[in-house]
Amino acid sequence: MNDETKKQINERYERELDKGERFWPDTIFKDVVMSLGIFLLLILLATFVGVPAEPKADPSDTSYIPRPEWYFLFLFKFLALYGQLPVIGKIEWLATVLIPGIAVAVLTLIPFIEKSPHRHYSKRVLPIAIMTIMVVGIVLLTLMSEIPTVSEDGSALLGMLQTISGIFIPLAAYILLFAFKNNTRLMLWTTGLAAASMILVSGTVLTLAPEKEAEETSVATTLPDQIVAGQDLYSIHCTECHGDDGSVAVIEGVEGLEGEKITPINSRDVLYTITDSAMNEVIAYGRPNAGMPPFGKTYGGELTKSEIDYIIIFMRYLWDDRFEAPVIKPLFPPLADGEVPSYDVHIQPIVKRYCISCHRAGKDNNNYLMTTYEEILTTGDQAANNVIAGDEKSYLLQTIQGQSIMNPEKPDEELIGVMPPTKALKPDVVDVFVRWVMNGMPQTAAEAAALFATPAPTPTP
Amino acid sequence: MWKNIYLWLDERIGFNDFYKNLLDRPEPKTSWWNTLGSASMFLFVLQGLTGIFLTVYYTPSPDHAYDSVNYIMEGVAFGWLIRGIHHWGATLMVILVFVHMLRVFYTASFKYPRELTWLIGIGLFLTTLGMGFTGYLLPWNQKAFWATTVGTQIAGTAPYIGEFILKALRGGPDLSALTLQRFFSAHIWIIPAILAALIGVHLFLIIKHGESHWPKKED
Repeated sequence: MNDETKKQINERYERELDKGERFWPDTIFKDVVMSLGIFLLLILLATFVGVPAEPKADPSDTSYIPRPEWYFLFLFKFLALYGQLPVIGKIEWLATVLIPGIAVAVLTLIPFIEKSPHRHYSKRVLPIAIMTIMVVGIVLLTLMSEIPTVSEDGSALLGMLQTISGIFIPLAAYILLFAFKNNTRLMLWTTGLAAASMILVSGTVLTLAPEKEAEETSVATTLPDQIVAGQDLYSIHCTECHGDDGSVAVIEGVEGLEGEKITPINSRDVLYTITDSAMNEVIAYGRPNAGMPPFGKTYGGELTKSEIDYIIIFMRYLWDDRFEAPVIKPLFPPLADGEVPSYDVHIQPIVKRYCISCHRAGKDNNNYLMTTYEEILTTGDQAANNVIAGDEKSYLLQTIQGQSIMNPEKPDEELIGVMPPTKALKPDVVDVFVRWVMNGMPQTAAEAAALFATPAPTPTP
Repeated sequence: MWKNIYLWLDERIGFNDFYKNLLDRPEPKTSWWNTLGSASMFLFVLQGLTGIFLTVYYTPSPDHAYDSVNYIMEGVAFGWLIRGIHHWGATLMVILVFVHMLRVFYTASFKYPRELTWLIGIGLFLTTLGMGFTGYLLPWNQKAFWATTVGTQIAGTAPYIGEFILKALRGGPDLSALTLQRFFSAHIWIIPAILAALIGVHLFLIIKHGESHWPKKED
């Protein structure tokens, strides 16, 4: 750029300044309004959207689908599509390092690449076209980032469409743009058509893509929630051996561990001397020599790091006398006279805490599973007799009330023992089961409410 | 009395010089598109302030990071608001800086005499992404952990120096307490220092050259 052009540019700017405004207060005013608007927007986002809770980092959880931050998603998607290309798709660093590296270098050096002194858009069609296609591509790749390149039925159609809109169309457009670089009209057509077809193909991908089920991960953030979550996990995974209050000293009724002597885990000896992190390790790794299997995912168990933490929090706050438990919601809302309990509100939390530990797949339970409403009513070797609407002889009701079921063919052989085998349910829990079965096992709260027989008002003298 | 204090200070500082040199300057007619840069800077300041509050409770160790963030959200008065602003501010800052860059490109404001301002601006854009990348790991939750795992993995695919970059970022072959510690250090000391210095130069250049005018047919 020669001195003459520089002088012209500076004079041109002086003329604009003469027609312009003052930094204070004109320009500053807009800046302040904008910043205040953003501040308000952030407060609204923090208040009404918040920060979604996530489970604790768990390096052993290889089933977690890793995804980068949202502003790198386009690059991630680009890598996935690039990896599908034949031959060069195998040379990973071309896409991970070289192409982004060139892009950043070009972006940085723009003032030295686009050297013409002209600023009006009509005189810089080529650079604007290149940037526009790039930005459209980045936005579309970000939008498509959740969609897999190979669908569940093995069809690669979605992946091909994504590659077309994310790589081939922009590439073709760039080649055409340089071929037409002296013809403004053709460059505009190329840009418009490329952008439109990219949007069209990506739109097709987005509509064709299978509806993704929102993954519900429940994360307990408040202390009461964590204690309840811990108690539920404890009742499923630990009660069988340690008992529902951790007081078991000799294991009974567990295959392979019958008569094994253990330390009661609710004792001071355990709670005062074993720190949280040591307890974490014991639960995760187990005590193989003493018969305790590993529970942490790291060692082949089922529990994540967060879940083990919840169990420890539960143990601390309920058994460790140095901790004071906060107010915790009751397991189920207490029933009024004549009120009928429902599966959703009453039975499910009770079953989860007292029954599922054994009554789930893979345990010794006469094939009676209790993890869902349907299973409770229809599974088991005695499915016909377990739960019968309005019949107090239902095996379920008899066994939880201390009556074991005798084999009708051999009257002195026990068919089903008392349930739960080690410790009887509290009377209010038994009452919930009795009312539920006697009123026909309603599933939802609405169905139960319809059966609510309002007690007749007692006449006052 | 206030007047006397003002006069005393004015004699030593010279408010009038500030007013003349910084505030009472001519500018070409500006549009709302010209507010994106100052809005990005406002977000930088806001992120700095909320970030400082967060470090009061945050602990950069794998054993405590998650719980300390949870405590900020549940236990600290208005902790949820501070963290919420910091979380959403990060997202908004990346968007604003990017859109600001696009605006400068489309109006060709990077041309003579503002080439250096553009170069510094690219530095600002990249350091902003660096802030996002390092900050994302700090809550030490599943999302954070795995995002950093893939992020560092991608950096590690570079030929020859890939393994070195990977180890330098992670502080070892795997994500560990060291990774968290160095991401924390980068997030609160190293990158903000670079960012602040670059913002200073960027601002100086903008004041020196003035904001560019919206390009007209004759430009």
